Formats: sequence, structure tokens, C-alpha cells
Amino acid sequence: MALRTVSAACKLVTPNARTRGSYNSFVFTDQVVSAVGEVYNNIVLHGYAGREPDSIHLQIEIYPGWMRVTMKDMGTSYDPFQAPSPDLDTLPESGLGIFIMRSFVDEVTYVAGRPNTLTLVKRLDQSGGSGSDDTLQFVSKAG
Amino acid sequence: MLFNLNKQNGTSVLRIEGELDALSVVDLRPTINEIGEERPSRVLVDLSPLRLIDSSGVGAVVALFKVVRAYGGELSVVGVRDQPLAILRLLHLDRVLIRDVAP
Repeated sequence: MALRTVSAACKLVTPNARTRGSYNSFVFTDQVVSAVGEVYNNIVLHGYAGREPDSIHLQIEIYPGWMRVTMKDMGTSYDPFQAPSPDLDTLPESGLGIFIMRSFVDEVTYVAGRPNTLTLVKRLDQSGGSGSDDTLQFVSKAG
Repeated sequence: MLFNLNKQNGTSVLRIEGELDALSVVDLRPTINEIGEERPSRVLVDLSPLRLIDSSGVGAVVALFKVVRAYGGELSVVGVRDQPLAILRLLHLDRVLIRDVAP
């Protein structure tokens, strides 16, 4: 459900990019959805491992040509910048999530605490559409 | 996630539909083991109906590739597109796994 919400939000950043410019709005959506999905995986599988399940707070801000996704959780903190890059030549079966997240967005910030706050910024390619002139902000809950 | 495994003339075709992610990948593990036990000479993984894959799903596909390679078989991924294709390309797996790319 959360990823469907993210996917829908991406379409508001790239309302007509498919026809206006060369930038593929589907790529934008695919990359944001992939990055957010990996963050969710990390929180659920690692942050809340061995703990009482808690909520993941998802906030999506949409601006003309870019978006910011903020996720907050009460799980065990981790530093995504300390994760080693996988050696892709060895065909790893794990340790790929943070690499995918960092590869598919323009900015990542992480503040450990109560809650942990991870923020992703994704910008629409300059060759693409102009994006929405509206700013929409909403909050959803995902367990 | 839905999947099915069809066997024809030494080739096993594994078709995966929907979302292959950290939650659903558990369901696929017994089938990977089954392929490893039956050792078909060719395995085709048809991802044309796959809408979404995450790092856990990729891990399962790579695990299957390694299983098949270990017994001397051949595995190819066919039909992959959109988000799953973007992930496989990012991880350089398109060079190793993909036989064709869906239009």
C-alpha cells in the first residue's frame, strides 16, 4: 500500500513527462518506488527485528520537478552510509538494498534517534516535463 | 506474487507474476530447491508478468542462477522489463542473466 502511494505521488511530479520530454517518467517512478521499498525492508527486517512491531511514518512532499520522501521509525538505528558497497562481480545475494536506495535517489540523509528519520530526495531530469505547479503534502501510515 | 513451474523436454520454465519482494520470496525458496534436486539442463525464468522486484527478490533469482550453474545447467531470464529491468541493470545482472528484453 505504501509503495502504491509513493507511485501515485511520483505521477504528480511527472504529470506529462512522458509526452513532453525525453525523460522517462516511468524510470523516475521505478527508481523512487525501489528506493522507498528498500528502506521499508530495512526497517521491517532489521530495525524492528526482535522488537515489538511499531509503525513506519511515511511523508511525501511533492514540488515542481522534485520530491522528498521522509520515513520515520522507532526501530534499531543503522547508518546507511556505513554499509559497504557490494562487489557486483561476485553476484551477491544479499547486501544490495542500501546500494539500490542510494543509487536511485539524488540525496539521502539519515538522523538516528527516536524516531530514526531517513529522507530521500529525487529530482526530475532537467530534460523532462516541468512537473506540477502544486505542492501537495500528505502523511500515511504503514505497518 | 504468483508463480508456476512448467517442465518440457529438459527445460523448466519458472514464471513469476506480481511482486517478488522480501515478503513473497519465502514462497519461492522450495521451488528453487526443487529445481536444484531435479537438475533440468535449461531453466528459463519468465519475468514478463513481474511488476516489482526488490533486493530480496533479486537475491532469490541469483541464488537460483548459482544453483543451476553449480550442477552445469543453463539459466536465462526472459521477458524482464520496467522496474525489474532497472534493478537488474543497476546490479549488472542483465549481462549475466538476461537472454532478451521485452519491448
